[in-house]
Amino acid sequence: MIGAAIRKDMWLLLRDRGALISLFILPILFMLAFGSMFPRGSDRGRPRTIPIWHAPGDARGEAVARALAATEGFTPVAVASADEVRRRVARKQDDAGLVVPASGPVELVIDLAAPVQFRGAVQGALTAVIMRASAPVAMEKLPPLFEARSPPGVARPLDHITTFQITVPGNAVLFGFFIALTTAMSYVTERRTGTWRRLLAAPVPRWKALLATLVPYYVVGVAQLTFLFGIGVVAFGMQIAGAVSALVALSLAVVLCAVCLGLGFAAFATSEKQLGAMGSVVLLIMGLLGGCMFPRLQMPPAMRSIGLAVPHGWALDGYYDVLVRQGTTVMDIAPSIGALVAFAVVFAGVGLWRFRFEA
Amino acid sequence: MTALALRGLGKDYGARTAVGAIDLDVARGECLGLLGPNGAGKTTTISMACGVLTPTRGSVEIAGIPLAKRPREAKAKLGLVPQDLAIYDELSAVQNLKYVGALYGLAGARLASRIDWALGVVGLRDRAREPVKQFSGGMKRRLNLAAGVLHAPEVLILDEPTVGVDPQSRHHIFETVKQLRRDGMTIVYTSHYMEEVEALCDRVAIVDAGAIVALGAIAELIAAHAGQGLALSLAGAPAVIDAAARAAEAHGSVTRDGARLRVMPRAGLAPLVAAIEGAGATITMIESHQATLETAFLALTGHGLRDAA
Repeated sequence: MIGAAIRKDMWLLLRDRGALISLFILPILFMLAFGSMFPRGSDRGRPRTIPIWHAPGDARGEAVARALAATEGFTPVAVASADEVRRRVARKQDDAGLVVPASGPVELVIDLAAPVQFRGAVQGALTAVIMRASAPVAMEKLPPLFEARSPPGVARPLDHITTFQITVPGNAVLFGFFIALTTAMSYVTERRTGTWRRLLAAPVPRWKALLATLVPYYVVGVAQLTFLFGIGVVAFGMQIAGAVSALVALSLAVVLCAVCLGLGFAAFATSEKQLGAMGSVVLLIMGLLGGCMFPRLQMPPAMRSIGLAVPHGWALDGYYDVLVRQGTTVMDIAPSIGALVAFAVVFAGVGLWRFRFEA
Repeated sequence: MTALALRGLGKDYGARTAVGAIDLDVARGECLGLLGPNGAGKTTTISMACGVLTPTRGSVEIAGIPLAKRPREAKAKLGLVPQDLAIYDELSAVQNLKYVGALYGLAGARLASRIDWALGVVGLRDRAREPVKQFSGGMKRRLNLAAGVLHAPEVLILDEPTVGVDPQSRHHIFETVKQLRRDGMTIVYTSHYMEEVEALCDRVAIVDAGAIVALGAIAELIAAHAGQGLALSLAGAPAVIDAAARAAEAHGSVTRDGARLRVMPRAGLAPLVAAIEGAGATITMIESHQATLETAFLALTGHGLRDAA
C-alpha cells in the first residue's frame, strides 16, 4: 500500500511542473547566482590579487612585494602607479592594494566602508605582511612566534575552499526544506478533495495512512538532495572532503526533519492558500537564520547562536564539516545528525498532537 | 441477514450533538434511502458508518463484523462513493483506480480485471488512459462510483452520487446503481433527488436534527406522514389571507403561495375549512393532489431553509 502511495505521488509530482521547478531547477539557479555574486570571498580557491606599487628599485617596496608573494592567499600584482592601485580598489577590481612610497608609512588602500568581518581579516593580514617586510631582522631567521593549528578533533580543511562548497549545501538545505511545504500541501489538498476520506474509509490503519503520505515525499526529498549534490559535484566542482557515508547520513536526517516539519505544517494549515503564504515565509526565515543565504560564520555571535535554533543551522554545520574538513566521518557530525533527528521528533510530535485525521 | 447495523450511533462536537443515537439495520441486498435536509446529520452518520469518523457513542457492524474491533475486515466489506470527487485530477482513470485498488489489497491480474470491469460498468473504458482533468463533471462522478465499487464491496454507501451532473451521466449512474442492486449489493443511497430515491429504494430513513425521524417503506411513509394533500384557493384582503394561513397551520402542514395554500390536514377537511372561514377568508376552490415522498419529507422536516453544511 505504501508502494502504491509512492507510485501515485510520483505520478502526481511528475505532472506538477511548478513543484518540479521549485524542487529541482530553482536551487541550481540559486547556487549559480549565489556562487557568482559574492563580491568578497568568492575566490573560488584562487589567491586574492593585491595590486602593489613602489618606486623602481626601492628596497622596502621590493621587500613588501616579496613578503606578499610569500603569504598564503595573496598574489602581488605590480602596477604602474600609485593611482592605478587606488583606481583598481575603487573599481572593486581588487579588494585591497598597497602603495609603498620611498619614505613614510605604507598606504593600505582598502574600502573602509566594507564590512568589518571582511575588512578586518584582509587589513590584518596585509599589516602583518608590511611589518614582516619592514622588520630589521628577517623574520624567517627568528624562532617561530606562533604556529596555526586546528584544535584537536577538528579535521584539516581542503586546501582550496571554493564558494560552491558553501552555496551548494546552503541552497540544497534551503530548497530541501521546501519538501515540507510540498508534503503539507498534499495533506491539505487530499483533505479538500475528499481523497483523504476515501483513504480513511479504506481498510488501512490510520498510522499507515499517515505514513503513506509522508514516505513518498521522503523519497522525493532524498532524490532532490542527491540530484542537487550531484549537480554540485559535476557542474560546480564541489568537493566532498569527508566520507560519502557521512554526507548520505546527514542528508537522510535533513529530509526526515523536513518531512516531519511538513507534518507539523499540515496539522496547523487550513487551506492551500494559507499554507503557501505562511509556509514559504517560515521556511525562508528559517533558511536565513540557519545560514542558507549568508554563512553563519560571517554573522555576529548572537545571530550565529540563533541559527542553531532552526534545523537549517545544524544541517549546514554538518555539511560544512563533510564537504570542507578532510576525513569527516558520520561520528564527527553526529551532533548535527542528532539535532536534526531531535527536531524531526519535535515536529512530528507537534504534528501528530494537532493532526486532524477526521477533518 | 443484516448487512449494515448502526446501534445507538452518535457524534458530539464539544457541547453540540451532531447525531444523537441512531439505530438502523440495512438488510443484505436491500437499498435504503437516507434523506435529510442539509445539516441534518446524514454525512456525519455515513462517515461514522464508514470508519471515517470515530463515533462518540454507539457501534457499527458491517456484514456482521464490528467496525471498532476489526476495522480492516469491516472496511474491506464496504465501498464509499463520497459526495466530494475523491479522485486525482492529474492522474488517468486507470492510475486512480490502481491506487484505490491497492488500498483494498488488490494487485496484479485481479486488480487489472477489476479495473476493466469497473470502467466498463461506468462506461469509461475508452477514456481509461486520459487524465481525469480532461473529463466532464459527469465522467468524474462515474469514475468516483467506479472507485467505490472496484473491490466488489458487500455494502455500498453513495453520498449524493448524481449531484451536479448532466442528465445522461445521471441516468447512467442511476442505472449502474440499479444493476449493482440487482446483482445483490446492499446499498445506502443519499440524495436530494426524491424521484431517484423513490425509484431505487425499498425503504427510506429520514434524518433530521441528528435523529431518524421516520423509517419505513416509501408507501408507508407517504401514507403515515403525507396522506392526501389539499390545495385551497382563497379570496380576501392580504391581511385576511395571512390570518387564514395562520389558522390553517393549526390543522396541518401548510405551504403558501400567495392566496393559494397547500395543506396536509392532520384531521379531516371540515375543521380546516371552518378555521379558514373563521379567519374571514373565502375558499374559492379545493383540489386534492397526489402525495409524494417529497410531501412526506417536507411534512417531517418542515419548510424552513437549511443552509448548514
